[in-house]
Amino acid sequence: MAARADTVDAVFSALADPTRRRMIELLAGRPTATATGLAAELPITRQAVAKHLAALKRARLVRARREGRETRYELDATALDEVERWVARVGAEWDARLSRLERALAD
Amino acid sequence: MSDNGERTVERERILDADPERVWDALTDEYVLSDWFAPGATLEPVEGGEVSFECEDGERTGTVRVVEEERELAFTWSRPGGGESLVTFTLEPVETGTRLVVTERALTGPTAMAIAGIAPGAVWSRRLRTLELCLGRLVLA
Repeated sequence: MAARADTVDAVFSALADPTRRRMIELLAGRPTATATGLAAELPITRQAVAKHLAALKRARLVRARREGRETRYELDATALDEVERWVARVGAEWDARLSRLERALAD
Repeated sequence: MSDNGERTVERERILDADPERVWDALTDEYVLSDWFAPGATLEPVEGGEVSFECEDGERTGTVRVVEEERELAFTWSRPGGGESLVTFTLEPVETGTRLVVTERALTGPTAMAIAGIAPGAVWSRRLRTLELCLGRLVLA
């Protein structure tokens, strides 16, 4: 449970940054990308891109893969799955409670 | 209505009962145990204690807002999870009471507006699903 809460926070934290959201957006449009390739499309240096990619990796939103001399990055849905489940679970709890409230008031 | 992308779940129901009855259902421990969670305790004063026996364990917290027949808010913590704020607002309508409940996470960054994520990609669909779940994201 604690691990799940950490994941949820890590994902929200990672996505709170507009540059990282833009990077997610760019990665969503292609199977993989390199840090250099991303830097070419963003108004920041390759070093800054690498730092943001590291943050996205920590949040498990992005996976890195070595391909020859290159490191290629791709989106990793695992963490987002957990966030979706968290949000869905809290929502489902309220749906169930409010239905019971409706029944309780109908008595 | 906050639109700054906080992590929030929101639900609304029109209840076939006047605000007085709905208020009782929210603050009377006996009625709360019937619909909310067994063994509910809630002291309807600011600073009062709340506790519920939920499926995943006991949740405890503190009453934050008590405005009779209008608003009730308390914090609670899930076992192993972060603290969140639960707010009920009541509004009389012709057929009874409009009840809006929100649960907003208080720990962790109040993240995000996953705004304008590129449409078309599978990921965009996923992020839009998340937006819908969160209910209140700023769309660019």
